[in-house]
Formats: sequence, structure tokens, C-alpha cells
Amino acid sequence: MAVLRRLLITCLLFCAGLAVGAGGPWIWWLDREAGIRFAERQWTQNSRVYARPLELYQGLAISLEDLLVELESAGLRTGNPDQPGRFRHNGQRLDIHVPGFVHADGPEPGARISLRLDRDTIGELRHGSTQGPSLVRLPPAELGALLPLDDSDRTLIALVDFPPLLIAGIQAVEDRSFNHHHGIDPRGMVRAAWANLRHGQVVQGGSTITQQLVKNLFLSPDRSLLRKVNEAIMAISLERRYGKAAILEAYLNEVYLGQDGARAIHGFGRASEHYFGLPVQALAAEQLAVLIGMVRGASWYHPVRNPQRARARRDRVLDIFLETGLIDPASHAEAVSRPLDINIQRGQRGQRHGEFLDLVARQLRSDYRERDLSGTGLRIHTTLSPSAQQRAERALASGLASVERQPGELQGAIVLLEPNSGEIRALVGDRQAGRRGFNRALDARRQVGSVIKPFVYLIALAQPDRFHLATTLHDEPISISVSGQEPWQPRNYDGQSHGPVALMDALALSYNQATVALGQELGLSGLFRLLRQLGVEPGSAPHPSAFLGALDLTPLQVAQLYQPLAAEGYSTPLRAINEVTDARGQEIARYPMRMRPIRDREALALLDFALRHAVTEGTARSLSWRLPGHSDARGKTGTTNDRRDAWFVGYTQDWLGVVWTGRDDNAPAGISGSATALPVWAELFAGLPVSASGRSWPEGIEWYWIDWPSPLLASEDCPGAKALPFIADSQPGLYSPCMNAQTEPASRRAWWRRP
Amino acid sequence: MARIGISLISICTLLLAACATQPPAPVEDRSLIEQVRASEPEQAPGLQVFPLRNPAVDELISAAEQAERDGDLGRAAMLLERAIRIEPRDPELLQNMAEVRLAQGDWEQAESNASRSFDVGPRVGELCQRNWRTMALARERTGRHEEAHRARERMQECRVEPPPRF
Repeated sequence: MAVLRRLLITCLLFCAGLAVGAGGPWIWWLDREAGIRFAERQWTQNSRVYARPLELYQGLAISLEDLLVELESAGLRTGNPDQPGRFRHNGQRLDIHVPGFVHADGPEPGARISLRLDRDTIGELRHGSTQGPSLVRLPPAELGALLPLDDSDRTLIALVDFPPLLIAGIQAVEDRSFNHHHGIDPRGMVRAAWANLRHGQVVQGGSTITQQLVKNLFLSPDRSLLRKVNEAIMAISLERRYGKAAILEAYLNEVYLGQDGARAIHGFGRASEHYFGLPVQALAAEQLAVLIGMVRGASWYHPVRNPQRARARRDRVLDIFLETGLIDPASHAEAVSRPLDINIQRGQRGQRHGEFLDLVARQLRSDYRERDLSGTGLRIHTTLSPSAQQRAERALASGLASVERQPGELQGAIVLLEPNSGEIRALVGDRQAGRRGFNRALDARRQVGSVIKPFVYLIALAQPDRFHLATTLHDEPISISVSGQEPWQPRNYDGQSHGPVALMDALALSYNQATVALGQELGLSGLFRLLRQLGVEPGSAPHPSAFLGALDLTPLQVAQLYQPLAAEGYSTPLRAINEVTDARGQEIARYPMRMRPIRDREALALLDFALRHAVTEGTARSLSWRLPGHSDARGKTGTTNDRRDAWFVGYTQDWLGVVWTGRDDNAPAGISGSATALPVWAELFAGLPVSASGRSWPEGIEWYWIDWPSPLLASEDCPGAKALPFIADSQPGLYSPCMNAQTEPASRRAWWRRP
Repeated sequence: MARIGISLISICTLLLAACATQPPAPVEDRSLIEQVRASEPEQAPGLQVFPLRNPAVDELISAAEQAERDGDLGRAAMLLERAIRIEPRDPELLQNMAEVRLAQGDWEQAESNASRSFDVGPRVGELCQRNWRTMALARERTGRHEEAHRARERMQECRVEPPPRF
């Protein structure tokens, strides 16, 4: 045998020698080319964008519906939880085999857990057999690829990270003498030639793994003899220059395994994600066998288009596994009995979250050059919650459909975030989820209307020596001269003037004339300065109608304005990205949680109280029946001239949501904040988990009973008295007549203070 | 109009991005954490508040403390961030984060987190003292000595007598 082998090599060397004589420069060039191109090969990988990983723990508030959305977004499927990536649910009980994942802060091993939901909360979380951690992280949902500039897609994996069965199996099936040959396998060639001759057609390929790699990497797919010769020379060249490990690693990452739409799938890493929705490490024997079987013809043995052929091929591969001792007969029997179990993950995922990816791309582009973003395989870990995103998409679509005059007339946008961290959890820029195009959440600059009013009142409340929540304002006809224009005479929504009105009522009931009068007292420049301090550039519109929201802002900007209000006075920039790593998980950039206390925290707390008043007794009072579960919701409606734009901005301890609706052509749409935008917001918030408890009030806040709506101190026993927060020492000095009837009119019992 | 829109958005993203880059961390100084946590015997607080906490958060806190002991403050901050995502209003977590930021020389975030911890915290006892001591140190390091002095004064008010037992 050894003699035959030596003879063949000698023969080959002789031929090669002949070739050197005839085409020396050609071989020299091929050899050099193979070396250079292999060494300098740039594996182009798309930058992947991931949602925030869901952390499972006892006490997590989540509905069964949302949990199922999260599991499926993370690539898990119903099935036998003995297998990684499968879960089974039975009523409120779930058994989950969480696959491992390399998160931004390190790898998290897989875990077999079971949990029980109890009234939309995880009541119990246990590990399968051993004691495990109380906290289990799901792999993050893959939202899509950023800037797919080329037409192929890969997930690069180091040789040591491939499952041993794949490494051994691919050799058993494709090239058994891989570890011994020098790039080409003359015996294999002879065997293949003989088999082909016998069958009168090509039934067996004699190509070694190295030759297949060369073909995939460098050569065109034509089947000429010259190409075969070139291939063989380059294969020998690669073997001469590089080790078996490097060649096998390149092969496993390069081999063609089908198409995802217009994009070619290269390598087992990406193929595993595409066909099974799982990392390759999590694949079972029969799933590996499907992919190994596809090497011979990704289209011919395609598990979806040609399932029978694919299954037969898979079983043939499993037979080879058994014959070569890679699996035992029991596992073989079990693997063969399983269905193909394909779970295609299409690249259109990228389109599904297109609006959010837009935002991610914009935030990234301000930090990176375009060419650093494409082809280098960045892993971008974002803040998106797949379940909240789905709820937001549905709320907008169904909300608009139920209020519009003609189907399809209205458009809308939603920004949803976690106010304390500023992390954006959902972003909807079109009523039809996933439609690429105009992203209204980021780009629709529309008049904000009364949504701006709280900031006018904030400026007033920040001057506690002049204003408090019970200060009397005057809602009366007002005429303001504007240079070069007609005098401006704002009117109220209902066309009436309401006379003397408490400051908190003027805001909650959204009275225009009282607000403009207050604004005139405070000055327009103060409002613009405040908006800039809060991180939003309002442009320059020196017209007093700005007090009523004649300012064009995007939904995202409005969310930024309200964030410190929802976060109890701590401002933070809105973020879509938590961390960027390279393809190996090494940190490239972190976007840590940052916050800064805003100076007028007490005034902001008063404003927060007033926005609660707007929900209980003001323009947003329909929330009390639309959303009975959220006793802590605060919010503000906004409607612009001729009912062109309708806004609702509302928040709880857990969430801040901005809803805009209107027509793309900015025509009057017959809509209003309370009738159009608020129901969308309420539908969204009705489904969001609630976890936090009541808010805490800043230290400088004191509480007094007030003879509402007069700015007079009262006691709890006075009819209609209301407890209001005041910045210390700004409370009214006069007592209500009701106090004269009390036995201890001046007693400190009249007010109470919260710790 | 669209151009203005785009440029405004780029301004916003730039603003957001500006917050992403941490100021260059000076030499890490973990002794600052010890300074904040050391409560001198005569300052031993009267009233202590021990909230019940989620075991998952406890695990993250222990892991963060371990990372801190190992000198890996970046990892400690990351673990605390995960915990804060679960319990955004836990005063102990926010104070731990403040102390890690202090040791990293991130004075602004040390002060902000301590202030937030105080706002949502018990406002008495040991945690209150750590809140104000952190704010005092952060203010001193940024040269705001007047404000630092006020923080130290405020710290004295954290001591309250325990409620009488019957």
C-alpha cells in the first residue's frame, strides 16, 4: 500500500515537474496567489444587532403571552426541552432549555429551567437537576444585520468552538483521509473515478476538504479540467503553507450552505442560525447531519424545498456517523426517528425591526466611520424589548384603525422607553410594522401643541416665591402684539374663557389663554433655554404661540423632553445601544447608564403631581377607565390647530410612552390628543408589565391641605380640601374660612408632612 | 426642512453619543470606597433599614462585590447596571454604583447615583451617611468645597434615634 502511495506521489511529482517545465510561471503564480489570498482573506461579516437579553428571575413581571414572544424572538421553539433551544409550556408552567450565549459581558452557559407564572409574575424558577443561579439570561433576539453591503452572510466560529461531532463528522463524510493527505487524495480520486465510471455518471466527488475550500475561496464554479488542475495545485500549496487546523477552520466557515433570499449563507455558524435558529454548538446530531448533508449540494438537499431528499441524505450521514463510531446505535436510532425540524430564520428579521435599526445605525454612525461598520462583524447589543415592540406595533395599528374616518388615512409613531435608564424599548415609525420608509418616530417633525405646556409651568414652579400649584391664573381673552404681524389672540379649545383658575387646573384642563398669560409673564427665551437644557433644540420661533406648542419636534425629541419628568428629576440621554463588541465578544464601546440630577427637582415633582391631576380630572381623565390598573399613570394630551396632530405623552414608574398620530400631508385630520392618541397609548400600556411601587418625593417637598381651588390653607376636615405638595415655605399664608369653624384653627394639625 | 431635520437628528445623536464616552478615568482609587463605607464608631447609626430583596439582585450584588475585590471595577459597574435594570429604585444598588464610580474617578456619576440613592432611600441611617459622604467626596474632588461642606453637614442629620420599643 505504502509502495503504491509513494508511487502515486512520485508520479504526481513527475507530472508537476513536467508542468514546471511547461508552465512554471503559472504554477508559481498559483502557489503565491493561494498563499496570499488565504492569509489576507477578509471574512466579511455583517454587524449583527441584538435586542436586550431578557433576564428571568423569580418576581419578574411578565405575562405568559409576552414570555412566549420573548422566547420565540430569542430563537427558542416548542419541543422537547431535553434539547437546547426547546421549551414546553403547560398552562402557566414552562420547561425551558435555555441555550448558552456569549453576551456583551461574557458567556452565559445554557440552563435547563422550569418556571411557573403566577398572575403575570414569575412565581418560581427552578433548575432542572442541580442548584443553579437565581438569574437566567435568555440569548438576545437577533434583530437583523446592519448595513448588509455584500451579498453573503457568515457567523465566524473558531475551530475549538465547533462541536466535536461536526468536526469529526464532516471528515467522515467528505474526506476521511483529511488528516493524512497533502491537499489532494489520489486514492480518493481513483475511487471516485471508478465509482463514476461504474455508474456512468458523477456519483462521488474525489475532492478533499482542502480542494473544496480552494474551490469555494478562489475559483469559479465551472467544471473544466484546467480548473481541476489549478484547484489541485492551490490545494497542495495551502497544505504546504498552513496547518490542517487552519484549513479546516476556514472550510467550516466558508462552505456554501444555501441562500437567505439574495444573500449566500457561508459556513456552519450562519447556516445553523438560519435553518434552526440556534447557535451551532446547540445543534443535535440529526441537525448537524442535515447541514453536513447539504455540503454536497445545498440546493439539491435543501431541507425546505426538497425535504424528502434532505431527510434521506441526513439519514445517510447519520449512518456514516454510526459506521465510523461517532455515535452509538441508540443515539443513531433516536436521531433517525426525529423529523427534520427546520425553523428558518430569515434575514427579513432585519426589516421587521427596521425602524429601530435605523436609530441604532444613526447612533453608531456618529461614533464610527461607515467602513468600520460593514464587514467587520460588530455585535451591537441594544435596548429593544421584542415583546414591548410587538405590543407597540399592534397598539398603533389597531388604535388608528378604530378612530380614523377613512381606512388608511392616519399615520402614527410610538416611542417607548424605560425612563430611569433612558433605554428605548420600542420604536414604531409606521402603522404597518416593518414597512421600510419614512420613519416618523425619528423624522416626523410635527407641531407638538399642548404637549409643550408642562415646560411652561415648570419654569413657573421653579420660582416658588411666585408660583405654586394653587396659584390663581387668569384665563381671559388676551391679545399679544407681534412685530410685523397682526396681534395674536389665542383661543381655548372649547372657545370659552374660564376666568380665575388654579395653576394646576389650567395645566390639567389645558387652557390656552391662561397658559399664554403665564408664559408672557415668564418670557419666551426661558422656555427655549429650558428645552435646550433638556437636550432638545427647538429652533428659533420667536412667536408667543410657542407657549401653545407651535414648535416642530419629533416623537423621539418629545420623549427626551419628558424623560427627567418620568425619572423623578434625573435626566439621561435616550439610548438604543448598550454595548458594541467585535465578533469575538471583545468590548469595543460601552454606553453606560448615566444620569444627572436636574436642578429644579422639587419643581419637577410638583409638575409630576399636576400631570397626575390631568389624568384623574383633566383632559386625560378617560385613562381612569381605559387603564384602571395603572393608578400611577401621568400624562398630557396635545392637539394642534385644525386637528392636524394628536399627541399623548404618558408615563408610569416603569415606562414612558410618546404617541403621535396625524396625516402625512399635514392636512386637518379631525383628531385630538384625548380621542386619538390617548387610546393608542392606553392600549399599549394596558399590556405592559407593572412592577414599581409609588414614587418618592424630594426632600424639600411638604404637603398641605388646601381649600381647592382657592390658594388657602385648610384642614382635612374642610369639604373639598385637597392635599398638595409645596416646595418648603412656598405654601399660602392665608387660611380658608372653613378653618374658623375648627377648634384649633392655627394648629399645625392643619397640614401634614410626608417623610 | 428635511435637511434641518436630519441635521437636528444628527445633533441629537451626537449629544447622545457624547454621553457614551466616559471621561478618561484617572487612577482607580478603591480606598475611596472604604472611606465611604467606614462608619466610625461614634457615628454608628441608630436606625438601620434592611429592605427585602430579590435573590437575583442579591446574586448580582455579590458578584459585583467580588469583582470589586478583584479590582475589576468595570465589571462591577456592569453587574450593578444589570441589577439596576431589575430594580431601578433600589437605594443600596444605586449607592454601590456611586461608590464604584467614585473609585473609578467618575465624580459626576458618583454624585448623581448617590443623590438618586438618597432620594429613593430611607434618608436616615448608614445608607444616608454613605450617600452624603459620597456626594461630599465627589464635590471635593471637583473643587466644590462649599457644596462638599454642606453635604458633610447634611450627613450629620442622617443619625436618628431608633424608635422606642415597648
